[in-house]
Amino acid sequence: MSTPSAVREQALVTAFVRLADTLVADYDVIELFHALCGDCVALLGADAAGLLLTDQRGALQVVSASTEAANLVELFQLQAEEGPCLDCFRTSAQVHAGDLATDTRWPRFAALADDNGFTAVHALPMRLRGETIGALNLFHRNRTDMSVDELAIGQALADVATIAILSDRNTRERERLTEQLQAALTSRVIIEQAKGVLAERGQIPLDEAFTRLRSHARSTQQRLSDLARAVTDGSLDTTPLLR
Amino acid sequence: MGGGCEVDQARLSQALADAVAAGGAESALAVCRACVEWLPMTGASITMMTVAEVQEPVCATDAVSARIDELQFGLGDGPCVESFRTGRAVLVPDIADPAETRWPVFASAAAATGARGMFVFPLQVGGARIGVLDCYRDVPGPLTDEDVTGALRTADAAVWSLLDHGRTGSDGEPEPAGAVDGSALTRAEVHQATGMIMAQARLGAPDALARLRAHSFRVGRTITEVADDVVARRLRLSPDGVWSTTGGGNPTDRATPSDDPVDPRSRDDEEKS
Repeated sequence: MSTPSAVREQALVTAFVRLADTLVADYDVIELFHALCGDCVALLGADAAGLLLTDQRGALQVVSASTEAANLVELFQLQAEEGPCLDCFRTSAQVHAGDLATDTRWPRFAALADDNGFTAVHALPMRLRGETIGALNLFHRNRTDMSVDELAIGQALADVATIAILSDRNTRERERLTEQLQAALTSRVIIEQAKGVLAERGQIPLDEAFTRLRSHARSTQQRLSDLARAVTDGSLDTTPLLR
Repeated sequence: MGGGCEVDQARLSQALADAVAAGGAESALAVCRACVEWLPMTGASITMMTVAEVQEPVCATDAVSARIDELQFGLGDGPCVESFRTGRAVLVPDIADPAETRWPVFASAAAATGARGMFVFPLQVGGARIGVLDCYRDVPGPLTDEDVTGALRTADAAVWSLLDHGRTGSDGEPEPAGAVDGSALTRAEVHQATGMIMAQARLGAPDALARLRAHSFRVGRTITEVADDVVARRLRLSPDGVWSTTGGGNPTDRATPSDDPVDPRSRDDEEKS
């Protein structure tokens, strides 16, 4: 009853039920992305996960990560120039690198990954009806060739993220895509600004600022994006977040 | 769509960089002209949002563009007004399409202008809306991916041009000269630094970003490099508008990275709440 596979199955069911619940309600897409990255870590044994979206200007941008550690965000960010995520985005196909030590495809990326203690990386495309809008990035500390099952689960999570971007039953799909992509990127910018405001006011590290922001959003039951916006436009007293 | 003429992104980007680098009052108009020259748009205009959410027309490439904005803000209805209100891009393939029912008041007035496709992009610094870029063309049809890419790049350039608009000299910073760091708006550090400066100097996001940018020009470094110094707490902006490096709070124009160990406590205790 509690074999490892049964445990994971239960965790999977829980994750997808939660996602489905989120998708039928009025949700914050950034919040959903953070949950997805967390699910990748919990369900797939990944050590870190990140989600990159096209900014429609010809580059990829990090919109969410399982951890906000600055060095890790940098590792995700580098992939706008070189790395498995960029290749995955360009080819619309999964990219696997089970052992970066013997992989010669992305020297700069591999070196930075190694600096951060990561040995394996997998990138899964976010596709929607022939269009690729981003990629999900999974990191492992040990050499890892993900199984067919794990990749299928990962791809399903990436697909949910894609649907989340375009869930609106609106017929003006192209317009919606641009709106939603730009809105997601804007939310990310506001969160970065809010992290800066809190880091300065509380003299705390930026990743700690993010943690405070996120837990405060949860405990007060508001959207992460709305809270970040209130921090940046000065309409919120930030004292409770900095205690 | 038909015709298959591809957007020359390289030429567009160069024209936008030149427009922004020129700085000053003409900068915004030069951005709009680049948009019309290199993208399949008939006209373009920029409207700025001043304090208290008041609209201020900044520039337009032609009379129709100006008229479209004027009509919308007069009627309080239309894609431009909607983008202004929501901070979202509003892309209308054909304003004359009977199935397009979103702006009943504006639609009939728009028909008289000859505009068909209308594409509005918000100009913002994070959550702070500073204006909109309003493009139109006299043929109906949706934007291609290439068109969207070009228009978004135009909007980024328009943000930089608005940050200069009406601010030059007011804060003692010189007028920017030299190419804008095109990728700056994509860097997390730039936004984090903007947030830190907002808290340090009690500024809104657009002013904080404008100060960051002006300082980068002044010291001859990229905005990303200067942002890195702010994030690493090597550089800060005081409430009275003076930049200083950490370790003594001595005002300096040179933002050379300090060799001093970064001590997060070596700061003036200025925040009350």
